[in-house]
Order: sequence, then structure tokens, then C-alpha cells
Amino acid sequence: MPRERISTQVVVVTIDEQALATHGQWPWPRDRVAELVSRIAAGRPLVIGMDIFFPEPDRYSPAVMAARFEGKAPELAARLRAMPSNDALLGAALSTVPSVLGVAALESSDARFAGPPRSPPVRFLGGVRDGLRAYPGHLRNVPEIDAGAVGHGLYSIDLEGGVARRLQMIGRFDEAAVPTLAVEMMRIALDAPLTVAPSFGGTIELRFGDYAVPAQPDGRAHVRFGYSDSSRFVSAAGILDGTFDVSQLEGKLVLVGFTGLGLVDLVSTPLGETVFGVENHAQAAEAILEGQFLRRVSLGARLEAALLVAFGLGLFFFIPRSNAQRSAALLVTAIVVAVGAAAAAFRFAGLLFDPVGPALGAIAVFGVMQAGSLAEAQRQRTQLREQAARMAGELDAAKRIQMGLLPDPAEIFVDERRVDVAALLEPARTVGGDFYDCFMLDGRKLFFVVADVSGKGLPASLFMASTKSILKSAAFTVEGSVGGVLAKAQDEIRRENPESLFVTALACVLDLETGELEYANAGHEPAWSCQPRGRAERLDASGGPPLCVLDVYSYPSTRRTLERGEWILALSDGATEAMNVRKEFYGSERLRTSLGWLGDEAGAAEIVARVRDDVRRFSGEAEPADDLTLLAVRWNGPESSLSAR
Amino acid sequence: MALQARSFANVLVIGVAGRLDQDNCEAFRADLMAHVERSAHDGGAVVLDLSGLEYVSSAGLRCFMLASRQAKAQHGRISVAALQPMVAEIFEISHFNMVFQVFQTVREALAAASNEAVAAFDQA
Repeated sequence: MPRERISTQVVVVTIDEQALATHGQWPWPRDRVAELVSRIAAGRPLVIGMDIFFPEPDRYSPAVMAARFEGKAPELAARLRAMPSNDALLGAALSTVPSVLGVAALESSDARFAGPPRSPPVRFLGGVRDGLRAYPGHLRNVPEIDAGAVGHGLYSIDLEGGVARRLQMIGRFDEAAVPTLAVEMMRIALDAPLTVAPSFGGTIELRFGDYAVPAQPDGRAHVRFGYSDSSRFVSAAGILDGTFDVSQLEGKLVLVGFTGLGLVDLVSTPLGETVFGVENHAQAAEAILEGQFLRRVSLGARLEAALLVAFGLGLFFFIPRSNAQRSAALLVTAIVVAVGAAAAAFRFAGLLFDPVGPALGAIAVFGVMQAGSLAEAQRQRTQLREQAARMAGELDAAKRIQMGLLPDPAEIFVDERRVDVAALLEPARTVGGDFYDCFMLDGRKLFFVVADVSGKGLPASLFMASTKSILKSAAFTVEGSVGGVLAKAQDEIRRENPESLFVTALACVLDLETGELEYANAGHEPAWSCQPRGRAERLDASGGPPLCVLDVYSYPSTRRTLERGEWILALSDGATEAMNVRKEFYGSERLRTSLGWLGDEAGAAEIVARVRDDVRRFSGEAEPADDLTLLAVRWNGPESSLSAR
Repeated sequence: MALQARSFANVLVIGVAGRLDQDNCEAFRADLMAHVERSAHDGGAVVLDLSGLEYVSSAGLRCFMLASRQAKAQHGRISVAALQPMVAEIFEISHFNMVFQVFQTVREALAAASNEAVAAFDQA
């Protein structure tokens, strides 16, 4: 943000192209410079500051000229020698007005100017003097001119990469300390002593009159530059030929310097303009008048480093806990806040603080971390995919094994005419806990069972596999009743049941010769039966709790004799508790209706297909919540009756 | 599924609402077991108020079974009350009414547990 020019206190009298055209090329004879100074002085400015340097005697001085005429025109030479030197004239002109001459700082000592330059008395407080930049040498004006000046100001702009950002506000030459030209001009104008004192944040301050100019401990200061303004320039030509009314200079700070092309005194300011060197002094003076100095708090660098660390740590903390968009938004917000705060500090407090470094650093950290977390996310996704594939593979294998455990009735009973058996198991999600089984205990007794292990997934399917084999072995070993088979099976299963799962089961034994059915129910859905020309009926729900719920239980057996052509349908709760999208249950009434549509001659496969289709139609889009297991057995009558046909 | 627990003397009444199935039974089991461990011991009782329960799957029944075993091991009692028709039918078919005492109302369940409990219930 450039400084706006408020003050018109500073006028720059320039030896510009026009002046050079009118009065000859530089260097001018110093009597002409003296005339310029005298005319300016007539306008009664507060102070004149010379941004022109006169380190050597004027070669146009009459005495110098005299040496050239010595042999040819002795009279002329004598008259010339009698005249005062041009340097003395300039010194005299300068002495008529408060004036400040320059001291140019050098990086090495110059033999012509030994000893410290003339300098104003400066009071130092708190040992700030030791921190000031000390120069080993300097250039100053010839003594005759110097004698006319009351003040001495430093010419030194610190060019950083050719850009004048910082002005050496005060520099040290051995014991002497010289403030910059602008400060010295103002000090002279105010006729105030100069004090240099420590200020906040490790900075120092140059105090004179009511002014306090902040600077770094080494004496440098950031000038808040404004744009170059031609209105502060007055051509020396106008003053010399009287076309400029010098009364306009009354009460002003007048700087005299060059802007003529070919006179190399151009400096780039941070605003990207090339301004004439003298204007830097003018701008510095205006900045002091307006209190517009920039403070580069010595904590600045540390503050910037701390900000970078804070950004970095914030990102380290936030990125793993948030998604990329949120982190990016946070980063942008943080940077905007930092830049805003820096701009506010600059605008309102003149504090110089650079958030760009920390912001770029934070963006770099963000980039690296995002790349890192992206790679990590990629790796995790790959891992999860592999895991899922492996799990799916294993679950598929488990499903195949589970389905492989189930017998295919059509195959087993291919030659059995007394009975027609069909079964179906549709697992809800990959593997489940339902199963059915059917096998001949001997030549005439058919054992069949439908069971449901509580829960789903791998644990249930493993438990189902062991339960199925235990039930089968119990069916072969226990003589007497089906209830006894269940009790025996419960006894076996209970021993190896760390997960406290339980099994509902409906076990039946059908005598294929007599049609006598014996069944026992362990907490399972009752079976349905239907006699020829009759209606499908739910068998009674007597029985006991599921296997493994109670430690010991004697399951009662129920007997009934089937008619020829009567069928039995055993099923799991996957049928009656099937749900549609409206979360309604299929229920036993729908099942009853569905079964009512079957004809007398319906075979086992037809019964199973009808119920399965009806349940699926009901569920519609809803994902099956439970396994669906159906087992239908139709008794056709004893072998004798069949062969008689 | 959030459990609502109210105390009446030495009996804790736990309201179970919604649908209890494979998907939410693990969380339900953990909550229920914590309540049962705290309350159903040394003569204390837990009554499960199922008036808000619409459906319970076999996985949900397993949670009830585990709670019942825990209570028994601690010499406490557990019962169920106010079953909706659907849940009542499930209890009947699975014969879980052999595992739990089933009461028509919470008050009846409290009355069966202790006089102090039903007195506290009547006052509330």
C-alpha cells in the first residue's frame, strides 16, 4: 500500500534537463549553484538540504582560472586571484539560510577525509548507539562550502536487490553519529536536539521535537514510499531566471538535487517506479512529517517463523482428522486471516510483517501432506478391496460348502415312489443359519428336519454345520421318539457352544408304509399339512424352546397318521417373517391363502415353488432379511398300494 | 435402539421399543446386560416392558436368552410384560414363554416381583 501524499511541506528544486539546457552542462560553476541557493534563500524556506555533493574544489573558481592566465594576461590573473573562490561564495550563500549538507557513507576509509565528519550532537539512551551501523569511511564537502552549513545529513539508501526499501536513518562514524538528510533537515527546521532511544519490540526511535521516527537497532528504517509526484518538483531553471516565484518556498523544506538525464541518480523504490534519488529524501521527509514510518519489529522474523510452525502443526493435526476440502478451506481461511492481519498492521500501525513466507510454507506442507494422505488412502483402499475380495471369496466358499451339505431330495429319492420330497434354501446374505435335512433311517422310515440357528453369517453357518451332523447321528442312535432325538442333540450341541447360539428345529419321522407321522418341535415354526380335498392347516405348536436355550428339556413328540396324498410343509421363519418395503410381514394368513390355491395333485416341488414365488412377490424390492427354507413331503401311500396300480 | 429404564423399589423396568433384529441386537445386548448385571441380582428383578417392541428376530431372542441366564446366575429374576401380538406369537412359537415369565401388563409383572415394587408403581 503506497503512502498517499498529504504533506506539501517538501519541495524539490531539481537541476533538470531544462536547467541544464539553459545554464550549461553539469558540473556548473559553483557561483551559479550559489546563486541558486541565494535565490531559494530569498524565498525564506525553513531549511535547504543539498542532495548535491561537493567533495573537491571547484575548477571554475577564479583562482583556478587565474593559473591559466598567469603568463598570458597577468593583470586579468591578478584580478581573478583577488576574487573570492566559487566554493566560498556557495558557503556564504548556504550560511544565509539554515542549510544541511551531505555526508556520504563509504565502506572503506577515504584518505582525503580523515577523522569523523561534522555531526550534530546526538543523545543516545539505553545503549542503542552500539547497535548502529558503523561506517569505516565517508565523503564530505570541501571545508569552504561545509562552513556554510549548520547541519549534516547522511546519504545512504540501503539498496536491496536494487530496490530502496530501507533508509539508513542514522549511521555511525567512529564517535560521530549522522542522521539521514531528511531527519537532519527537519531537526534543523525545528531547531530541536536529536535523541535516539530504545522503543518497543527491540526497535529504536529517533526523537526530535514532536517527531519519533522508528528504526531497526542498526539504524535502518522501512520508508513507506508513495508514488513519484512531479508536483513536488521545481526546476532550477525557473528559479534562476526568475519565472518561479520563490515566495512559494516560504516555510518549506527545500531539497536541491538532480533529475537531469545523464546524471545518474535513479533509484528503484519498492513500488516498482524509478524515482530520482533526491525524491527518496523528499519522501522520507514527508513520511516523517506524516508519521508514516514502517516498523519492522525485530520479532517480525520470529513471528513469521512461529506462524509457519503454527500453520504446519495445524495442518498436521487437522489433515488426518478431516477431508481434503475442509483442510483446504481451513488453510485458505488461515492464510486470508494472516494476510488480512498483516495488511491491517501495515495500514493502521505501520508495522511490517510478511505473511507470504509462512503462507507459501503452509501451502507446501499442505501439498506434501495431502499427497501423503492420498497415497495412504489409496493404499488403504487397495487393502480393503483385497480384504473384501478375500472375505467374499471365503464367504462364497462357505456358502458353497453350506449348500453342499444340504441333500438334494430329487437325487436321494429318485427311486422312491411312496413319498415325494422337495426342498429349497435361499440364504438371505451369503451364508446363514438355516438348514434342512432328509434321509431314510431304514427301509421305511423317513427322517426330515428344518432348523434355524439364531443369527447369521459365518458363526451361524459353522454352528449350523455341526448341528446338522449332530442331529443326523442322534436320529440314527436314539431309539424311540423324535423328541428324544432333539433332547439328545441338544445335549451334544450344548457342549460346544461358546457363543451361546441356539437352534430352532422341527424334526419329523414318517413311516412310509403306514403314513404315521411323529414330530417334535424345538421352538420352530409349526409345519403345515393338507389332506386331499382338504384345506391347508397349521399343525399344533406344541413342543419346547429352541435347542440350547434350556439346559435340559424333554421334548414331547406328537403323532398323527397321514392320509394317502396328504402333504406336509415344514418351513423356516424366513417365510412367515418375510417383509416387504412397507415393513409388513408375510404372515401365516397369506401363507394359508397361498397354499389354498394348490390343487389336490400338487407335487412337493410345486408346493415349494408356489410358496417361494408368493413370498418373493410379496417382498418385492425389499432385501430378504432372513434365510428362506422350505421342505415339502407328500405321502403317496404304501408300496403295496402303488404297485397295485 | 435406546433403552428406557425406570426403577420401582428393587425392580428395574426396561422399555424396549422398535424392531430388534440382527442389525441392532449387539448394541441392545450390551445395554441390556449392563442393566441386568446391576439390577437382577440377589432377589432384585428386571421387567422388560415390550409394549413398544414390534418385532424380534431369532438374534433378538438370543439377547433375551443371554439376559435370562445372567439373571439366573446372579440369583435375580427377569420377566417380560405387555407383548404386542406379533411378539407374543413369536414367544409362543419359539416357546420362549418357558424361558421367561410373560405378563399381560408391567404392573402384573411388578406385582409378581415384590409388593414394594407394585406399591411404588401405583404411587408413580
